[in-house]
Amino acid sequence: MAATTTAPRRSARAARASESSQFSGVGRSRTMTGVWNTIALVFAVVMAFPIYWMVLTAIQPSRDVLSAHPKFWPTGLNFHSFHTVTSDPNFAPDLLNTAIITIGAVVLGLIVGFLAAVSVARFRFTGRNPFVLAMLIVQMVPLIALIIPLYIILNREGLYDQLFGVVLAYLVFTIPYVVWVLRSFIVNIPRELDEAAMVDGCTRWGAFLRVILPLTAPGLISTGVYCWIQTWNEFAIANTLLSSANKQTSMVWLTTYSASPTHGADYGAQMAGSLLISLPVIIVFVVFQKRLASGLTSGAVKG
Amino acid sequence: MTVLDSEPAATAERPATPEAGRPPRFARGWYLPYALILPAALLLIGIMGYPLVQLILLAFQNTNDFLHLANPALVKYVGFDTFQKVLSTPEFWQSVERSVIFTAEVVALSIVIALAVAALLSRVSGWVRVTVLTVLMFVWAVPAIVTGTLFRWMFANSSGVIDYICYLLGGKGMLNHDWFASPTQGLYVVAAAVVVWGALPFLVLGFHAAMTQVPRELLEAARLDGAGPLQSFRHVTLPVVRPFLGIATALSFIWDFQVFAQIESLRANTPEPGYQTIGVYLYAKGIGSSHYSNSAVMSIVMILLMLTVLVLYIRQVLRTGEQD
Repeated sequence: MAATTTAPRRSARAARASESSQFSGVGRSRTMTGVWNTIALVFAVVMAFPIYWMVLTAIQPSRDVLSAHPKFWPTGLNFHSFHTVTSDPNFAPDLLNTAIITIGAVVLGLIVGFLAAVSVARFRFTGRNPFVLAMLIVQMVPLIALIIPLYIILNREGLYDQLFGVVLAYLVFTIPYVVWVLRSFIVNIPRELDEAAMVDGCTRWGAFLRVILPLTAPGLISTGVYCWIQTWNEFAIANTLLSSANKQTSMVWLTTYSASPTHGADYGAQMAGSLLISLPVIIVFVVFQKRLASGLTSGAVKG
Repeated sequence: MTVLDSEPAATAERPATPEAGRPPRFARGWYLPYALILPAALLLIGIMGYPLVQLILLAFQNTNDFLHLANPALVKYVGFDTFQKVLSTPEFWQSVERSVIFTAEVVALSIVIALAVAALLSRVSGWVRVTVLTVLMFVWAVPAIVTGTLFRWMFANSSGVIDYICYLLGGKGMLNHDWFASPTQGLYVVAAAVVVWGALPFLVLGFHAAMTQVPRELLEAARLDGAGPLQSFRHVTLPVVRPFLGIATALSFIWDFQVFAQIESLRANTPEPGYQTIGVYLYAKGIGSSHYSNSAVMSIVMILLMLTVLVLYIRQVLRTGEQD
């Protein structure tokens, strides 16, 4: 109990300490900082280059895309490639499917996972520890090993080639992750707050709605974003469980599109398509950047 | 307050009697916690427990074409025959070998680079750090399938920008170099680059977060005592980072050993045999050519191969959790 209540204070102190060390430096000379800055910026350029190249290829006029001496700067702004991909009959439906599947898997995963997380964080009952351990182990089962039995089972249940079947399959990784991360979030909400609310006249459900739920909101957001990214980007399961061209997800669409004889060499269109289907994830990332970084440390580091 | 604080520990020892003497604080009724975990438990049994049972059953069956799948009457239990068949296939062991080499290479590279960059980030100016972290956030957001497609284009043998950069840097013969002609180069250079590029954001951000926990006083004390940068990294920073280092190494191993999407998209949906790591191989056999039972055997062998690392990882996570 004592440990959980002092945890926020401890981490705040650590953050302050690290901030001051970041800005004053540990007595390092200016020239060394210059050297380190240069190395770090070179690293940033190398890491950013592929993304830059994707954007550049997408907007470059095609004669400059297919040149043996590619240009490193835009030679003109050309939306032809975007037009090519968006006019592909499967592009829009597949993007919509991806959105439906992602929202379905994230929302269901959050609801089901949150309930279970409240249970294991706030109650003590027989089977609690095995359940928590199972949540950890289950996250480690390689998805690729589950694909064949999942395919066989969903096929038997008539859920093959159905978006709902994929939503169900994605709960395999969203639920355990949500339970695991939210559990530590809820454990860190002091129990005294629930009690205070109930002393002040809240019912149990009132305490739950007014205390636990709002205080878990940051955790819900960061786990939600993480699940969003996982589901949006998933490929192997979607590629197996969906067969109709207009029922696939964008990741399946991209691989099919870039393997097709007509577009296999049209890298302008492939890059435009890549960019468009990555945008929803990139936007979510940019919007929730801060929360994600903190979710990473509370989720992955603390376990 | 102290009574309240010690109360959960007391009930923990008598889990079967939650009503012990006084009304529980949050909710009455022994069934409530079970009701709350019920949806999660049922769903996971349905979509993970049941498939795992199915996987084991498949491994002992002869379901190796679609006909057997459609007509359960044809399915026979063949004992360890499928195991014997798969385990005596040289291609299977070659894919295992590729996976082992690939995983060792990629895990080592990504961990070392990530540690170095994280250490670098604690020495640079604020705006540089923000720049690097922002770039990493964008890289993190790029889907694996997109990364594979993107690197296939960058490493293309005509108009590929990597060839052109090599040419500009003095590699005169590199202008139409085909990176994918030799699977050795394609897998251990290009595919490895794809995976390392995609893995770095998580690792760098994680190590960076862990390193901000290193007390500044300790680093200063080490410096005053005459420790060089390497020594203070080895003796001050590394011990603080170690728990995350263990977790990150294990997670990287787990992710890289089952790598699939990146290689699949790097080779435009048709990876040549030389690109078949175990994940790619079992997908091609299982889904691609409907050899469900063979593929189930491979999946089981793959899980067994990963088991040591999985167990080490789970132990490390549990231990880190206890310390908090």
